[in-house]
Amino acid sequence: MFWSIARKEIVSNLLSYKFFVVILLTAVLIFTSFFIMHRDYKQRLSDYHLIKPKPDEPIAVIPPNPLSIFVKGLDDAMTRSFEISVIGVDVRAGQESGNIIFSFFSAPDFIYIVRVVLSLVALLFGFDQVSREKEKGTLKLMLANPLSRAKVLSGKWMGNFLSLAIPFLLVTLLGFVLLIFDPDIYFSSGDLFRLAVILFISLIYIALFLSLGILISTLTKKAAASIVILLFIWAIVVFVIPNLGTLLARQIVDIPSVRALSEKREQIWTREVLLIYEDKDRIAHFQTIHDDMDKLEEDYRNKFSRLIKLSKNINRISPVASFIYAVTEIAGTGIGEEDCLKRDIIRYKNNIFQDVVINKKEYPAFNYRYRSLSQIFVQGALFDSAWLIFFVILFFALSYFAFVRYDVR
Amino acid sequence: MAKQEPILKAEDLSKRYEDGVLAVDHLNLDVHPGEVYCLLGANGAGKTTTVNLFLNFIPPTTGTCFIKEIDVTKDPLEAKKYVSFVSENVMLYGNFTARQNLDFFAKLGGKLELSKEDYHQVMRRVSLQERAFEQRVKNFSKGMRQKLGISIAIIKDAPAILLDEPTAGLDPKAAAEFLEILNELKDEGKAILMSTHDIFRAKEIADRVGIMKEGRLVMERTREELQYEDLVKIYIDYMRAEPLTV
Ligand SMILES: Nc1ncnc2c1ncn2[C@@H]1O[C@H](COP(=O)(O)OP(=O)(O)OP(=O)(O)O)[C@@H](O)[C@H]1O
Ligand SMILES: [Mg+2]
Repeated sequence: MFWSIARKEIVSNLLSYKFFVVILLTAVLIFTSFFIMHRDYKQRLSDYHLIKPKPDEPIAVIPPNPLSIFVKGLDDAMTRSFEISVIGVDVRAGQESGNIIFSFFSAPDFIYIVRVVLSLVALLFGFDQVSREKEKGTLKLMLANPLSRAKVLSGKWMGNFLSLAIPFLLVTLLGFVLLIFDPDIYFSSGDLFRLAVILFISLIYIALFLSLGILISTLTKKAAASIVILLFIWAIVVFVIPNLGTLLARQIVDIPSVRALSEKREQIWTREVLLIYEDKDRIAHFQTIHDDMDKLEEDYRNKFSRLIKLSKNINRISPVASFIYAVTEIAGTGIGEEDCLKRDIIRYKNNIFQDVVINKKEYPAFNYRYRSLSQIFVQGALFDSAWLIFFVILFFALSYFAFVRYDVR
Repeated sequence: MAKQEPILKAEDLSKRYEDGVLAVDHLNLDVHPGEVYCLLGANGAGKTTTVNLFLNFIPPTTGTCFIKEIDVTKDPLEAKKYVSFVSENVMLYGNFTARQNLDFFAKLGGKLELSKEDYHQVMRRVSLQERAFEQRVKNFSKGMRQKLGISIAIIKDAPAILLDEPTAGLDPKAAAEFLEILNELKDEGKAILMSTHDIFRAKEIADRVGIMKEGRLVMERTREELQYEDLVKIYIDYMRAEPLTV
């Protein structure tokens, strides 16, 4: 019976005009996104080959992440080149970080389409599930059979989930196959696995909005009424809350502006440089500059981390933010990865200062190793995924309770 | 001949809605196998509410409905195995063909292994036009949809059939055809409870007629009794009478 209902939902979707329009539109968007992001990636890859440091240059720069085709995240910021000068001050890391989160939700990548378009599509699939059956009188006819409401609801859920998930996976797979025809693009097996995990989390995200849609449908008597509620909730959850946290956190955490920071640096620099002329021990002054700037930088980064942490936690009120955090970290383009990279760069700079300035050795090359999936999961992605699943269950449970009380007449 | 146990039975059944309307008021009623029971009554008399109580769509305030001696509030899923339901003006799934609609509801009714031919046979029996079998229900007329509705009830093959104004809006010929099918089902031994506004046809088909007023069953007559009385007159007299004092 469960599968009878699920099957009915699938067949009825396949027979509907709405379904094809929506799937076609999604396919066009996903292919377009792959196309644009693929070109963007290749552009950045060739840029990287141009600016790639020669063995004796103290420059830290990493190649663009192939997964940024799907999840752009902070990859632009991460792939900037960080020049390390002899005094070791010129770590550009953090200078543009002030607007990380703002620039965070924009590129038309795969995840943007999932986040904005597929959430709306899933809501559209769900929002009239119950109210429409009531209006057509089929709800009564169904429930006149030995069939619990839990089965009706879960059958509907499953049927619609499959109607969404299967075309979504097929379209994505097709786009992906077209991508790997390009010999310039190489995905390691690790990348492929990460991509699979990202797809899986995207499915949870879609399930979440489907459940939300069904919940709305069990709370309304008329489909026409639920569409207004639906658009309102969608806008709030997808656009408002994920940015609200950032604004709020900025009010709470006091963080120096980037201008003030570079002003401070210049002061340190001028002060020490003036002293250098009067003193024989230049290295000691370089050391002071280095240490002071490090402290300044460290202080800024700590404050900044607090800001990020706070805004992340506020933003997580909306599972949409959790979704973004999880997939960007898994792709290696998230805030956490960016932080690791910058810490690595600082370490690299300190090494240079030690090895080259003090011990007069050769410049070491900069190598960055992305965090492993298990580290990523422990450091937040597990929580975010669980949080998404929690919402799926919550919305489904709520719609069950509403449906049990639903007036079927 | 000992009388068989009733298949449908309401005992002291009442329903008061949340807004205080007493829609069904201590109703007692039973329908035996091979019997057609027609519920008459003005708009708002409580007929639909009674049917909904039998299907456990709403909980009763007092009393119990039994289907094949199963208490429908206690074991609704078991009870619903033994009842088919035809509602007034059901739209069905417009994107599905007649057969697909029939197939879906047959599966819900527990008939899992029916062939295309079985479905066609049932639709032929309710005299739905042959060319409509594989057409989408979207463009069906009301009469065609109602025929499909009764074939959904027939295919479940349950011992009890509940019908809520099934002939409302049908033309005289379609209504007559519809009642002809009911007669056949009755001869097969089904217990049929039908609410209707059509006094004339009720008199023709019913083995018993009950008139509801303000939630109460104010009159009940058997077919035999009605041979000597004028149902129309009785009905109108009851409707004219002063409102019942509660
Ligand atoms: N959901 C509801 N909430 C409150 N009152 C209701 C509800 N449904 C029906 N009623 C009231 O219960 C009474 C009986 O209604 P019911 O629909 O059972 O009558 P009916 O005999 O089927 O009428 P009709 O011939 O118009 O179909 C009416 O007074 C109606 O207003
Ligand atoms: Mg009614």
